[in-house]
Amino acid sequence: MVNSQQNNRLASGGLLVDREHPITFSFAGKDFIGFAGDSIASALAANDQWLISRSFKYHRARAVLTMAGQDANTLVQLPSDPNVLADRTEISQGMRVDGQNYSGSLENDLGRHIEKVGRFMPVGFYYKAFYKPAGVWEKWAPLIRKKAGLGEIDEQFEPEYYDKAYAFYDIVVVGAGPAGMSAAIQAAEQGAKVLLVDENPVLGGSLSYDRLDAKGEVAPALRAGMIADIEASDNIDVMLEAICNGYFADNWLPVIQAKRLLKVRAKEMIMAVGALEQQAVFHNNDLPGVMMSSAVLRLIKLYGVRPGKRAVVLTGNEQGYSAALEMLDAGIEVVAIAELRDSPPISELMQAVSDRGVEIYQNHAVYAAQPSSDKKHLAQVELRAQLGRGACANSGELISCDLLCMAVGYTPTYQLVCQAGGQLSYDDESAVFTLKGLPKAAQIVGSVNGNWSTDAVCGDGYRAAVLACNRLAQQSKTITEISEPAPIADDSAASPNYSWPIFPHPKGKEFVDYDEDLQIADIVNATRDGYEHVQLVKRYSTCGMGPSQGRHSALATARIVAQATGKSVAQTGVTTARPPFAPERLGHLAGRSFYPARYTSMHQRHVEAGAQMLQAGAWYRPAYYGASDQRDACINAEVNNVRENVGLVDVSTLGGIELRGPDAAEMLNRIYTFGFLKQPVGRARYALMTNEAGVVIDDGVSCRFHDQLFYVTATTGGVDRVYQSMLKWNAQWCLDVDIANVTSAWCAVNIAGPKARDVLAKVCTDVDLDSEAFPYMGVREGHVAGIEARLIRVGFVGELGYEIHVPQHCGEALWDALMQAGSEQGIKPFGIEAQRVLRLEKGHIIIGQDTDAMSTPQEVQMGWAVSAKKPFFVGHRVIKELNEIGQYRALVGFVVDDLSAPIPLESHLVIEGEKMTGRVTSCNFSPTLGKPVGMVYVPPHKAEPGSEIEIRSSGGVMVTAKVVELPFYDPQTERQAL
Amino acid sequence: MSEFITATADSVLRRSQLYHLQQSEGAQFAKYQDAVVVKQFSSNDSQQVKSLGVADLSTLPRSGFKGKHTPQWLEQQGVTIPEQPNCATKQNDGALVARLSEQEHLILSDLAMAGSLAQILEQSWSIEPDYMCYSLPRRDSHAWLYLSGEHVRAMLAKVCGIDLSAVEFANGQIAQTSIARINGILIRDDLNDDTAGFHLLCDSSSVIFVWQSLLDAMAEFDGKPVGLAALLEN
Repeated sequence: MVNSQQNNRLASGGLLVDREHPITFSFAGKDFIGFAGDSIASALAANDQWLISRSFKYHRARAVLTMAGQDANTLVQLPSDPNVLADRTEISQGMRVDGQNYSGSLENDLGRHIEKVGRFMPVGFYYKAFYKPAGVWEKWAPLIRKKAGLGEIDEQFEPEYYDKAYAFYDIVVVGAGPAGMSAAIQAAEQGAKVLLVDENPVLGGSLSYDRLDAKGEVAPALRAGMIADIEASDNIDVMLEAICNGYFADNWLPVIQAKRLLKVRAKEMIMAVGALEQQAVFHNNDLPGVMMSSAVLRLIKLYGVRPGKRAVVLTGNEQGYSAALEMLDAGIEVVAIAELRDSPPISELMQAVSDRGVEIYQNHAVYAAQPSSDKKHLAQVELRAQLGRGACANSGELISCDLLCMAVGYTPTYQLVCQAGGQLSYDDESAVFTLKGLPKAAQIVGSVNGNWSTDAVCGDGYRAAVLACNRLAQQSKTITEISEPAPIADDSAASPNYSWPIFPHPKGKEFVDYDEDLQIADIVNATRDGYEHVQLVKRYSTCGMGPSQGRHSALATARIVAQATGKSVAQTGVTTARPPFAPERLGHLAGRSFYPARYTSMHQRHVEAGAQMLQAGAWYRPAYYGASDQRDACINAEVNNVRENVGLVDVSTLGGIELRGPDAAEMLNRIYTFGFLKQPVGRARYALMTNEAGVVIDDGVSCRFHDQLFYVTATTGGVDRVYQSMLKWNAQWCLDVDIANVTSAWCAVNIAGPKARDVLAKVCTDVDLDSEAFPYMGVREGHVAGIEARLIRVGFVGELGYEIHVPQHCGEALWDALMQAGSEQGIKPFGIEAQRVLRLEKGHIIIGQDTDAMSTPQEVQMGWAVSAKKPFFVGHRVIKELNEIGQYRALVGFVVDDLSAPIPLESHLVIEGEKMTGRVTSCNFSPTLGKPVGMVYVPPHKAEPGSEIEIRSSGGVMVTAKVVELPFYDPQTERQAL
Repeated sequence: MSEFITATADSVLRRSQLYHLQQSEGAQFAKYQDAVVVKQFSSNDSQQVKSLGVADLSTLPRSGFKGKHTPQWLEQQGVTIPEQPNCATKQNDGALVARLSEQEHLILSDLAMAGSLAQILEQSWSIEPDYMCYSLPRRDSHAWLYLSGEHVRAMLAKVCGIDLSAVEFANGQIAQTSIARINGILIRDDLNDDTAGFHLLCDSSSVIFVWQSLLDAMAEFDGKPVGLAALLEN
């Protein structure tokens, strides 16, 4: 059944709601109707549904407290979203809302009975109760963890699209209340580009709901005027329903709006973040119907909702009277004002309330609140005269009411300010806060800066804007400088803070922290247990660690700790407030993910040919061509086609570095282990690179195309490091050489196999391909299929082969031309899996696979690639010394003759007795040899050909392998020299 | 003025890596001067250019030179080089010369390819012993995109952490920065007084990723790919 009465909806008013658009939603299984613009909490309140949640520990009934998303009372469950703030979340058609943290139903929560044994669960009882006897925690933990947490996550949740963006402004103003709007308007007037951020759906801050004068005319007029100025300005960008969730160095501000995290850099920042109203601490101060005066005003003015029918106001400042007048205007019976102050000066607001016949009890406190019979709402309050700080008379007056409006003071919203370096201080006598120590380019204005009167608040915003603009004007042509205004007069007399709104009760339940159900005794007991520092009190009692992060408990806690430890509140301080200010989603932090991917210019041809692509680093490469369930057969066929015929592989991902200039050869000579000074033009040389520790880190081929031009290839994954290494070393050596990473400028194929020359000859007519004219390890420049090309005759796969390097954008045309030219010879593409088998058969290592962070040239059988004559290369000294002391392992080839044995895999261990003495680095079934072949690190005494080694293969099966000479295939190197 | 002559993207040796994607996005390819380009994506290209569009200019000529003698050599060839690094200067033939560092310069052809500075310089250059001016294969090392329109800055703010506002980032200014985590060269070169525009040069092997990232960022503003013809109209 739909509750469509909206009994608490006022006949008019409600800045945020659109009465023309009713919205149906459900809460705790019942349907309700609200208006577009209603929050869940306001719509429920309009329907007299006050119970929203159950408290964490005692499962007490909880309801609206701030109507500003600053407390945990309104946390509710949406189908895919736990812990949603009901007073911040707008209703939508068909929305399903539920309570959370209850057993049975929200209305009849079985968990509420735990309160009966609450006295056995004092602060710290976890630490005291569950640690002995030894091992008992293991039994308790599952039970306790089941009770921990609030809402439930939706495990079927599909990730949604979140993103991030950058923004830059001269001035960012956080908070669009009167101070913030004033600052933004003035800054824009002086020519600054301004971002005005506010978490609310409309501009105005407290002007949207507060009543500044008895008639209630000042605030709406002031707000309307300022909004008109903002809307007329081209220099102000407004972000509403956006939250600046932290402050980071140099005014770096994360601003979250909807599903975007805006990374804002502000030259100047003005924080007009306002103040947070605090609750009074008395018996049963958490009952539904007990709420902040600002919540009362918000319900009436923003949503047109009556917060109660019969109200009592507890106040220590002017806002209590402001709320009283607003309630009276809304037709709510205000039966009494409990004025905490003793004979305060008669103000305009107070007089207006008095004139309307409301009795004002001066120097009185609310000593206790009492619930209705079902314990779900306030039924009456007990007013008692104050006898001293926190002390009340022995008896008082009981007054029936369903609403208690608390107006006892504020703390500045210090979270962002302190993150920016601000230091909070407090005067115990006047209960006035001050914040100082901000960086030069950040200011605070308005109530957070201790200004309360409208003139002072707006003047403070104006002053800060002028200061900021005048600083910016020194470096800006668009921002004008004007004379600075006089400092704002001391406004502390207008401070709304009552010094001690804390009233202990023999039965407790005077809640300091609603989130964790912490009472006065809990805080006092924490100090008695030895945790006297406020930071220790926080950890021990969990005060301030709940969802509202101490926004309403920090001041009361500091006051109670101060009293219990004999210190002042100023000495006690408050706990640290770190970012984020409000809850933020992982989606905001992750944003839209960018995972860079690189494609060769032949990529589409691989896909069209049925390649199974794999990602190697950022590159997409063809693993093999054919169906995945035919993987081994495909690879074997590709290997065989290269050995017997001709194959084509895309090697565009190879790194390419050009070294040019008079010292190009000298540079190479120092960077690589071989000698390059005498490398002839038109020839290639193997290039092995070691680091300062003599460890092999890369390899490639150095091609000399000109006396002062070398084109050096590097491994796919290593080229960036090689290039950086060259730049780094040459910053020290200052050789006359230009180093350019041209990896992406060239793409390349390797055409390999006994028929490679026949195919290439069809499309390359300006290079003499004859073996003598263009021998193994020769390099030439010419044209292939009309494309300018660099040809390198190499033999990585152990067959006659040519690497053909062409400009990147011509890669696909080259591939097409070669595939077409080779059709007669049966050319087929082969992938990197076949290439790995082919190179293994030929005994070529892959850096990073067959080497590790300790591999020296000698132990990977690359001693031949190290010049013994050079006086220096990077790693020279260490390699020389290591060679003198002998090696402790060697990389050798092995074969497995038992074809029924499981093929060893990479990283399988060599076992000798009880010891691990080596590991496999590569192993594949060799189609050419008809058995598994591989490379393995073994100790020196096992390195001799013919040695037998035991490899622990898959499933723990020990496989006997035999060490053999490398290469496995074509040891005389006849094939590649064809 | 040259004309667009209908052609397929794979009818020439030099092809943009993007052409397969562009085919599926409705591109009409044409030969223009010596390059095959996307002539247009839709009849709305002209409006798209003003709102938010991205054009692939990867097959257009460009060249690059670096080394300590490069400024001297370029001036000998009649090139007006920018006084400061990270600035670009239009040449008489419409080409854009971007100074990437004291010793490194990038030459982009004019969009109509009416001039031929980039090609002439490349042809004029040869490696000279002990003369520190080296050609860079910019036509292949980098893909070349052009982004334009009213929303171009808001869109770029989603993929690039540089303040590209009109006041802070003047026409002709260059940012060598990260675009969607890819190194890129961003040059402000407004299409005209009313339409902001940026050249984006990125690693050519990454251009498919960059293109897809840009289209994703553009979707919010209804941005779309555009052909060269619409750029030449403006």
